[in-house]
Amino acid sequence: MDTLVQALINGIAVGGFLTLMVLGFSIIWGVMGVINFAHGEFIMVGAYMAWYARSEWGVEPLYSALPIFLIMFVVGFVLQKLVVNKVIDRPHLVSLLVMFAVSIIMSNSVKLIAGADFRRVNSDIQRGFWELGDIATIPRKHTVVLVVAIIVLVALQTFLQKTRLGKSIRAAAQNREAAQIVGIDIKWVYAFTFALCIGITAMSGALTSTIIPVFPFMGPPWALRAFVITALSGLGSVKGTLGAAMFLGLLESLVATYAPGSSGSQLAVITAFGLLVVTLVLRPQGLFGGLRPVDAGGH
Amino acid sequence: MNKAVFKTIGLVLAALLVAMLFFLPMLGHYGNDSTLFTVTLLLASVGTAISWNLTGGFTGYVDFGHAVWWGIGAYTTGVLMSNESEWIPQQWPLVPALIVSMFFTALVANLVGRLTMRLSGPYFSIAMLGFFVFFREVVRVVGPLTNRGIGLTIKPVINRPLWYYITLIFVLFLVYLSWWLRRTRFGASLIAIREDEIGAEMRGIDTTRNKVMVFTLSGAITGLLGGMWAYQNTFLDPDIAFVEVRTIDAVMGTMLGGLGTVAGPIIGMVFLFVLRELLWTQESLLQTHLIVQGLLLGAVVLYLPKGLMGLVRGEVAFLDRFRERSSTFDGMESAVLEAQESSISDSENEHPNDPVAMHPTWDGRTS
Amino acid sequence: MTRVLEASGIVRRFGGLTAVGGVDIHVDAGEMVGLIGPNGSGKTTLFDCLSRVQTIDEGSIMLNGTDISKMQPHQVAHIGLSRTFQVLRVYRELTVLENMELSVQWGDISLLSSFRKPTKETTERADRLIDFLLLSRLRDQQASSLSGGQRRLLELGMALMSDPSIVLLDEAMSGVNPSLVEQIKDRIRILNQEQGVSFLLVEHDIRFVKDLCDRVVVLNYGEKLAEGAPDEIMENEAVIEAYFGDDGTEGAGDAGN
Repeated sequence: MDTLVQALINGIAVGGFLTLMVLGFSIIWGVMGVINFAHGEFIMVGAYMAWYARSEWGVEPLYSALPIFLIMFVVGFVLQKLVVNKVIDRPHLVSLLVMFAVSIIMSNSVKLIAGADFRRVNSDIQRGFWELGDIATIPRKHTVVLVVAIIVLVALQTFLQKTRLGKSIRAAAQNREAAQIVGIDIKWVYAFTFALCIGITAMSGALTSTIIPVFPFMGPPWALRAFVITALSGLGSVKGTLGAAMFLGLLESLVATYAPGSSGSQLAVITAFGLLVVTLVLRPQGLFGGLRPVDAGGH
Repeated sequence: MNKAVFKTIGLVLAALLVAMLFFLPMLGHYGNDSTLFTVTLLLASVGTAISWNLTGGFTGYVDFGHAVWWGIGAYTTGVLMSNESEWIPQQWPLVPALIVSMFFTALVANLVGRLTMRLSGPYFSIAMLGFFVFFREVVRVVGPLTNRGIGLTIKPVINRPLWYYITLIFVLFLVYLSWWLRRTRFGASLIAIREDEIGAEMRGIDTTRNKVMVFTLSGAITGLLGGMWAYQNTFLDPDIAFVEVRTIDAVMGTMLGGLGTVAGPIIGMVFLFVLRELLWTQESLLQTHLIVQGLLLGAVVLYLPKGLMGLVRGEVAFLDRFRERSSTFDGMESAVLEAQESSISDSENEHPNDPVAMHPTWDGRTS
Repeated sequence: MTRVLEASGIVRRFGGLTAVGGVDIHVDAGEMVGLIGPNGSGKTTLFDCLSRVQTIDEGSIMLNGTDISKMQPHQVAHIGLSRTFQVLRVYRELTVLENMELSVQWGDISLLSSFRKPTKETTERADRLIDFLLLSRLRDQQASSLSGGQRRLLELGMALMSDPSIVLLDEAMSGVNPSLVEQIKDRIRILNQEQGVSFLLVEHDIRFVKDLCDRVVVLNYGEKLAEGAPDEIMENEAVIEAYFGDDGTEGAGDAGN
């Protein structure tokens, strides 16, 4: 029984940081129709920035998170203007390949600069565990991320619902033309959205750098999870992302706890992908556009 | 310069290249075992690109996890031929092992294809990448069969020149296969699927059957190549059998050469190889070659979407039309009329946000 | 008289919305039937259902006596139903002739046969249709270089390759140069009157429907509003109201999103 509770607690913790890590991917896709293939690499960059801040200046990841968010916000903005803007109206394959190219460039650049070794980011204030009576423990690191995730979620939801810019973003997501007619400057909306999402994604990497393995090619499994979660939750739905992330987190945690033998990370990936397969089998009409390839006049 | 001239030049160059390849082992110092090893690998990567192009290029389903078939083929051969697998301790001879590898990979590809090809475009690509990552981990987990992350060893009994020739002949066969397939109705139906799947379906093409078939074929070919590699390499573990770079190479080489053309993968891979050799020799660029490749891929996708073949064809088509138009007064007049008409049609086809041009799933509503 | 197409009780829902709520529609041999309705009336969805691009939740569809309610599009293409699309679906990278050749998989449709090259018969048929549609000089041009109207003709040709008993035409005149519209109408008329091909047309332009169709079906809010000869329909009050609304402004009556 204790094991179960521990597994569930772990699951919620994992779900927490998954939510934060996936949010950016889901929103970019939902609003701009761009699948950010380099999503995992932005997490990686955030993690490396946190590592650097920690090892060079001794700054705690928790404190470097905000500066990292701001820096990467700017980076994201520039990247959108330079590159992503060019691919929005083109066939999906183009945006996929371009972001794929970006991911190759990013991971190999980091490898060039910082080496291919695994990095450890340690934290003084996040050490240790919270204890829940005798039943379970939860590492402080995880709770920190969970709390931040909740704050970001609430902030984002409020932003999207209540502010003018937020509403513009939602309008643009639903119908680009209509939004433009009403006077919304689509280019700025896209640039801002992309920048915001990159910032959040990098920040998530910074915060989770104390938990997950950090190396230049760490991206793909996280990108895969982002895809699975987004697929389950629907595009750009903030609440949906939370739900799906929690679901995956719990699933992975239970599998890791109860499956015999092998180590967690392999099973985690297998679980994530297995979930995708199950979804495909049970919902044979496919995930989003139905069974037939959805063609928006320009395929 | 017209089409026939370009074609002849191309064929002559190709013939020269093939001749060079045939004489390589006989060139003494240049034809030593180490060189043959490398060139065999290069040939295998050309074969992988051709195989990838069958699905990605002809059918338009861009498989971002293609390297998984190589890995599955490699591991099947490894498991069968090595004595380190608990479940299959007997050591199989080469040919049966390769045959089983090919068929087993084909089987897996068929099953996976039926599932993932329900997804369109980018969703399919990502799902395949996911499958790649998934399978690599599965291999790590199923210890008694695959010896986990430790890897498998195959006895090194190989005649390098012979193996080189076998690979060369196989790859030449793949080139022919690709060319032949394109000319059949089946091949044409694949192009139709790429161009417009719904339209193809509406005109009598069983798109599901056809695309899964070619996907299975792609998997089988790359699986066989992987098995052959395992034998040549004598050692494999999950991290060298399942390598993202193999997918990247196939994708990039094909895109560079011209997606969906027969010659594209070949030209592209050769170009890539030459480029890489140039970069390798520059000491400073040794570390950066992947970065350069990434930049190259981005540039190609953004500015040269039809690859090198597209450049060539564009040239030829342009010159042809120019010659045709300027030769008669009628020609010019019809050109003007056409231009007027296409300005009407352009707006409906080139602007995907035009409500009229949107996919008609709902009446009057964009999808 | 044989009914080429008989659809009864067609229902199609999307989540909570009923796009088509119980529609009966039929086409007799040799007839030209028009299907019209304001935006959101469900006519395109109905069209998709009839051509099997979408599944139906309820109802049945019979083609020349065969139940096609559960068939896939490529299957109905083999037994006499063709369809064109509002969004032009030609194969842009291929030539006009290649487009035509790819549009028939009639006769021997086994897998083995598809590994042969297009037969002479196919090419001859393609050429005949290309000539009929007055596209002869464009035979070897890439489809992407054709004008909008020419592509419409090509798409019509592709639909005809399978020798269908009925062709479903989806907004065949949209985006076409007026001079070519007459040409297209003329070709359709000949096909109908001389070769007995039945047509079901979805159209926004009511004049076009008036010229060509024997009978018109009007949809509104997913249900059949009226049916009859074109003249009757044009004077039907309910139809006028659906299209123009009480205050006479055009295009009202649309809410169906």
